[in-house]
Amino acid sequence: MKMDVSQDRLELDSRLTDLARVQPWIEAVADRHGVADDARFAMHLCMEEALVNVVVHGYGEEPGHSIVLSCRASEGSLFFTIDDRAPSFDPLAQAPPDVPVRAAELESMQPGGNGIRLLRRFAGSLNYERLADGNRLTIGFPVASLK
Amino acid sequence: MTISTEPMDGGITKVLLDGRLDIQGAAAIDMRMNVLAGSSKFLLIDLSNVSFLGSMGLRSIVIPAQALRRRGGKVALLGPVPMVQEVLNASNIGEIIPIFHDVDSAVACLC
Repeated sequence: MKMDVSQDRLELDSRLTDLARVQPWIEAVADRHGVADDARFAMHLCMEEALVNVVVHGYGEEPGHSIVLSCRASEGSLFFTIDDRAPSFDPLAQAPPDVPVRAAELESMQPGGNGIRLLRRFAGSLNYERLADGNRLTIGFPVASLK
Repeated sequence: MTISTEPMDGGITKVLLDGRLDIQGAAAIDMRMNVLAGSSKFLLIDLSNVSFLGSMGLRSIVIPAQALRRRGGKVALLGPVPMVQEVLNASNIGEIIPIFHDVDSAVACLC
């Protein structure tokens, strides 16, 4: 099936293998907005870490649930929103910003553990909202070409 | 994502990774990395052609590296590009796996 990457919206199923569809979608969004390489790297990294977290911790790796990604440009930034219907889960509460990871912990860490720290480090802004029936994480990135 | 190896002097195995070490990339190298960790003494993991590294990819390096260390072996990382280096720094990987930008220093550390 040919993927339509021209839209600012992408719906995923809650499987790690489905996350492969995110990379070309972000590339297409980044192309449309003239995003530089380092900012693209940060977008790919933050979206992968946040989505692994939704699939592994939010949905317990159970497939068949929806995750909806959307993107909008505003005030010199691109904002990516991840909406899911998983039980309440604030990823930003999982890794306090001022506690560095000890590398020796990485091998025993669940997938997604170190990811939240990377998310904090590479995102321009992060905002979590508990919705009536799910969770919304909005990740912002300053984009020079939008200013 | 591709993974290949080449033998070096001093019993070192150089592991050349090429591509994106994202979720799919990690899945593509996991088995080979685990085999290398079980069959090598010194691993020099060349990251210079890795254009992306996420936490899942990092686990594919750290878990085999720690297994090899427990067997008395050593692992070093070589030549990450700046953004990959930033991911390594943010994860404090340097605490357990030394990172080098020239082969001679890496080889001196391993042997």
